[in-house]
Amino acid sequence: MARLPTTARIAALSILLALLSNLALIGFIHFRTHDDALGALRQRVSEQADVLADLHASGGRWALADAINHALRDDSTLIVALVDGEGRVVAGNLVETRLADFHSSGFQTGELRTRHGTRPKESGFVVRTFPGGDMLVSGRSFDERLTLQRTLERSLFVALALSLLLGVACGLLIARYVGQRVGAIVDAVDEIGEGDLSRRAPVLGGGSDAFDRLSARINRMMDRIAALMDELRVITDSLAHDLRSPVGRLRSRIERALATEDDALRDQLLAGVLEEADALTRMLTTVIEISRSEAMAGRQRFARIDPAALVGELAEMYEPLAEEAGVRLQVDVASPQAIMGHRQLLAQAMSNLVDNALLHGASGGCVTLSTAPAGPGMVRLGVSDRGPGIAPADHAEALRRFGRLDSSRSAPGAGLGLALASAVAHLHGGRLELDDARPGLVANILLPLDTRPAAS
Amino acid sequence: MGRKILLIEDDAETAGYITKGLGEQGHVVDHAGDGRDGLFLASDPGYDLVVLDRMLPGLDGLAIVRAMRAAGVPTPVLILSALASLDQRIEGLDGGSDDYLVKPFAFSELIARVNALLRRADGRGGDATETRLVVGPLEIDLLGRVVRREGRTIDLKPREYSLLEYLARNAGRVVTRTMLLEQVWDYHFDPGTNVIDVHVSRLRRKLDDGFEMPLLQTVRGAGYRLAAA
Repeated sequence: MARLPTTARIAALSILLALLSNLALIGFIHFRTHDDALGALRQRVSEQADVLADLHASGGRWALADAINHALRDDSTLIVALVDGEGRVVAGNLVETRLADFHSSGFQTGELRTRHGTRPKESGFVVRTFPGGDMLVSGRSFDERLTLQRTLERSLFVALALSLLLGVACGLLIARYVGQRVGAIVDAVDEIGEGDLSRRAPVLGGGSDAFDRLSARINRMMDRIAALMDELRVITDSLAHDLRSPVGRLRSRIERALATEDDALRDQLLAGVLEEADALTRMLTTVIEISRSEAMAGRQRFARIDPAALVGELAEMYEPLAEEAGVRLQVDVASPQAIMGHRQLLAQAMSNLVDNALLHGASGGCVTLSTAPAGPGMVRLGVSDRGPGIAPADHAEALRRFGRLDSSRSAPGAGLGLALASAVAHLHGGRLELDDARPGLVANILLPLDTRPAAS
Repeated sequence: MGRKILLIEDDAETAGYITKGLGEQGHVVDHAGDGRDGLFLASDPGYDLVVLDRMLPGLDGLAIVRAMRAAGVPTPVLILSALASLDQRIEGLDGGSDDYLVKPFAFSELIARVNALLRRADGRGGDATETRLVVGPLEIDLLGRVVRREGRTIDLKPREYSLLEYLARNAGRVVTRTMLLEQVWDYHFDPGTNVIDVHVSRLRRKLDDGFEMPLLQTVRGAGYRLAAA
């Protein structure tokens, strides 16, 4: 079976539901109000007709006419007429102009006018014809209860028809509305698919209904994708750009080494080539480490780590280097709690921060490694210096991969240190924040605490 | 002092360069150009060391290490690989290899690591209950963690002691900065600064100040060596 379009199915479903619920309601009303008054009337009228027909058969036209006149005297609901072959009423109280249209029939209902009544009354009646051309119309008018019930049933039928009509209308309206909303989103997604990454799905009502929520989700996803694409482009550009200078240096050193006659100079140049090659390798390794962290690789190596121990280890490792640079290395550990983390990557991230602090903040004479609670469920691993710091406006640039501030262009490094720290923080479900240490820079890696119950 | 080394490496240029370099060190190098031959040769217990490229055609070198270990072949394995991320290196070490060197590498680094592995293979099963290391005039009491030079006790911080112990176990051989970082600090990343050098020069001051003969030597372009005699 061919599937209907979704909107048509929604319409059909809503029509069906409206119909079913109305049917149930009408059925209930009918069931509660209907007794078989009509059935009783039918039986009474039929029996009455049988009796009168018998009279005609046994006594002839005039015996029946007598009986009719007699019966009419004390029965107010009786409606009866004996009509001869020319259509004249021989006996009875029926006043009817369309008698010619009457044919022999079983029980039927219809409006009949009597001689005494001011208006036609709802009645049930039987028509019999006799050999010789006589015709008998024998019936009874409805009593009040039966009239009411008939009216109710008719109203219910009309209501049912109306509800069907309304259901169809509502269904079509709903289908049209849903179709329009979905269509708008589909259009947006199509345009995105064709390459316009700046296109966004429409959000109409302040984001409260389901379509708006869907649009908002799609838009958020697109924002993320666009940001990643931008980042990827910047990375590729910067990688290509940043590789040019070391490769250029390599090239010129090799060229000079080939040209020189001086052995000592050649050795010195070749040693420089090695150093440059090592720095390049290091840079590429770091780029790989950053993208792996951002791809969330390595989470399976997470283990329980005491941040205070990690900070202690790094302080111990960097203390001699700091001393040589004339910097006092301080450790400030406050109520540490365990985290789940990648020891190697966290240590590398922290060592990058310490390197930066010693490189750019040595003039302040003091570098502090610290760990402290940072809000609910988070812990902070921080490195702060008292050097010149970074202006808040430049923080984003400093965090960017290959981002190097003009003030540090001359210093060694590929501008990957903070990017790695940031990627590692993301891998752990945390983030890297730069702040003003007044004076100096503080770089904080914020990490979620280990929320599992303490291991045995 | 020549040892038998098996090199499993599919790139002919790299293989030639390593074979030549290790040969100059006095070792005998057999070369397997693919994983199948490599696996076959590696199961021969006659080798003192297997040097293995991780990315072989159609085969992860790690599979060879696992097969060797499963077959009970204890030969030390050094993995060479361009798979350079921390996790890939740790995976290699967890997979049963004894050391992991990332391509491209400095040849001095390869030699130093090969020598350290060969030395460790010599010590295996031997002096596990060793309580004393003696390097020339230097005497290390491994139980009490006390260091003496010519009878004079040298006061060392715990990390300095670990550093000296590792150097002393490899006395007479070059030990590189990355080896120290991995073995003494258990860090498998390259800090990129001279953080190790500063630790070593501190240790050297404590070890050599006031004595005539310098024990802790810097080997240019390679690393450090604790004099054997």
